[in-house]
Amino acid sequence: MTTGDLAATQPNSAVVTAGSSEPAELPVRAGIGRLFIAPLLIWLGFTLAMPLAYCVWISLTNANTIGGVPRFVGLANYITVLRDGTMSGPFPLSLAWAFGGAVLQTLMAAGAAMLLHRKFRGQHIARTWIMASWVVPTIVTAFLWRWMLNADFGVVNHILLSINIIAEPIDFLGDPDYAFATVTWVNAWRWFPLMTLLILAALTRVAPEYYEAARVEGANNWQLFTKVTLPFIQPVLYVVGLLGTLWSINVFDIIWLTTKGGPLAATKTMPVAIYERAFQQFSLGEAAAMSMLLALFLLVFAVLFIKFVPRGASEQEVL
Amino acid sequence: MSLRVISLSFAASAAFLAAGAMAGAAVAQDRIQVTVWHQEQVQPRIEQFQAVIDAFNASQDQFEVIQQVQSWGSIYQKLPPAVAAGIQPDIQFTIPDFTITMRDTGVVQPVTDFVDELNAAHDFIDQAVVPYTDDGEVWAVPLYGMIQVLWYRKDMFEAAGLDPENPPATWEELIEAAKAVGGDDVHGIGVPASRSLATDQVLYSFMATNNGAEIFGEDGSVTFNTPENVETLEFYKQLAQLSPRGIASWTWAEPQDALNAGSVAMAIEKGQYLAIFETASGRPASDLGCAPVPMSSDGGRASIYYSNGAMIMTDDPNRRAGAEAFLRFVLEPENYAPFLLAEPGLFLPLTETGFTDEWRNDEVLQPYSECVDLMIEQSGYGVLPGFNTGTVQDAIGPIMASNIMSQVVQQLVVGDESAESAAAWGQKQMESALSQ
Repeated sequence: MTTGDLAATQPNSAVVTAGSSEPAELPVRAGIGRLFIAPLLIWLGFTLAMPLAYCVWISLTNANTIGGVPRFVGLANYITVLRDGTMSGPFPLSLAWAFGGAVLQTLMAAGAAMLLHRKFRGQHIARTWIMASWVVPTIVTAFLWRWMLNADFGVVNHILLSINIIAEPIDFLGDPDYAFATVTWVNAWRWFPLMTLLILAALTRVAPEYYEAARVEGANNWQLFTKVTLPFIQPVLYVVGLLGTLWSINVFDIIWLTTKGGPLAATKTMPVAIYERAFQQFSLGEAAAMSMLLALFLLVFAVLFIKFVPRGASEQEVL
Repeated sequence: MSLRVISLSFAASAAFLAAGAMAGAAVAQDRIQVTVWHQEQVQPRIEQFQAVIDAFNASQDQFEVIQQVQSWGSIYQKLPPAVAAGIQPDIQFTIPDFTITMRDTGVVQPVTDFVDELNAAHDFIDQAVVPYTDDGEVWAVPLYGMIQVLWYRKDMFEAAGLDPENPPATWEELIEAAKAVGGDDVHGIGVPASRSLATDQVLYSFMATNNGAEIFGEDGSVTFNTPENVETLEFYKQLAQLSPRGIASWTWAEPQDALNAGSVAMAIEKGQYLAIFETASGRPASDLGCAPVPMSSDGGRASIYYSNGAMIMTDDPNRRAGAEAFLRFVLEPENYAPFLLAEPGLFLPLTETGFTDEWRNDEVLQPYSECVDLMIEQSGYGVLPGFNTGTVQDAIGPIMASNIMSQVVQQLVVGDESAESAAAWGQKQMESALSQ
């Protein structure tokens, strides 16, 4: 390969050759590059920036969901939302929903992944079927659990009563004392297979030799988990923790389909509150302000998460 | 096969397809398309509506009606953007509070003269037109009614030693009957307590029988927190205590399922109970009883009544003519019966000419002729929150969309608040809706 060939394949090589044989090549090539990415930038502008900017604009107006010409009201919607109980009701509930769900899903997924990582008869079938709750549509999940948890004819109450764990039926979705935990569980049940799959993939990276070496050194099972397994799956848990929290805080469907945010306001998280504000009270401006505040919180959360939460070590560092 | 033959075949096919497409376009252009959006998602209703539409399309060659099925769950989100984009339907099925909300889009057309013409031909009952009357105009063409009554299981009454032909007529009798029928696995009554329109409707029927049909005063202020409504809420709480445990999640299907399964003996609902009673319960039609909604000792006969109508949402003269032609066709007695039988028992005629033998003698309705007659009679006592005076309060839209009345029931039943406290809470929520 000649020097000229190398310059053609390496973008930075133009700097090396600048002022020598082809000084005008860089602007031309950069221009062509920009031309190629221009459609993508325009597409991103339309699909990301424009809706976001529109949402910001709506949040500064008295827009009504049904119609009419929006009038600029400044920060009035934000002030209303900050004063009307949203930040002391749905917002903390959303945090509890996200973090409670994340912990529950991680525990369920880690347990399932460890189990499926072991060799046993039917392992492949089990690995396939574990995905069942994730692949079924949300509407099916919601109605399935609504039937199973029904206080009058649900199978869950029937089983709990028949083995004397409870003395009388529990209205899991209709009793404010149980509804939030129940819906959190249903959502975790729906999403834990995805996390299981990711953790399982990470576990396959751990060569059996590492465990054998640790055992030779006298490590017990707990030490095997904390010193060998956990360092390997920690990068996956990091990604799952970040994305899972961002995803789950925006979950609307499973809550709406099971409890509609009730009973009372026991499961009214931010997405449900935003929906109600927009499509039941028709205050699109206030709903947009709530959305922007939630988006801002998630942005800050993501930055802090990336900055302060340890990502886990690379394979070389583990070794 | 030579290249020339292939090329000729391809050219001939393309020409044939192009000719076909042009011919199709020509046929489509001959007729003015009229789009109907409705929220009746149940398959038999869609099929029956289509049968009526097909009959209309075959009856003339000027218009072609097309139905597009929507849902009540999403119509508030779908219609405003459709209006903004100028692709709203020409005819939109509606209920009164949806109409008052959608009038803000500015495309709902007044139909006063057209309704007058239909009224002269078919004689609407008052309850059909009044809810759509506001600002001196009528805003939708009434199409079918829905009324709530008390449904009860005669066999369960008999087993409990009650007279199955003498159903409860007052609140006291209702409580007594519910207590008498109730047992270990059976509840005397089942009333919903979820945050839903289903709960709104049952509570409002009882409010109406206790002089609480109006939730707005003459000056437009909210009058929900009244001694009568507090009394009604106390009564509803009693009924909830006699109902199954899971009522906080109940909407429409659960009381019906429970009545059919024999786990509750009474429920307050509309006429959808008729069509599937025998198959779902395994009992003969004669075991299903019906009665007016029981009333308070100093109240009167009443129950919630929905006049379902059709808004015309186009100002294009040709399309409007098509919309009017179709609605005129539907209300003709020979077409009205098949239209109403899209849901036998639930869809009730609201014109005098609509009470036809063809409708009454339908095989589904025939075994329940007494209940059909009762629902028709009860329709004359029908009321609807915010729509009884011919002047509509705009706040009723968000009040009904937010299910504030059912939230009051939740405060009462799930939150175990007192009736006074729940009524005060409801008053505050409704005043907030009014101020917005």
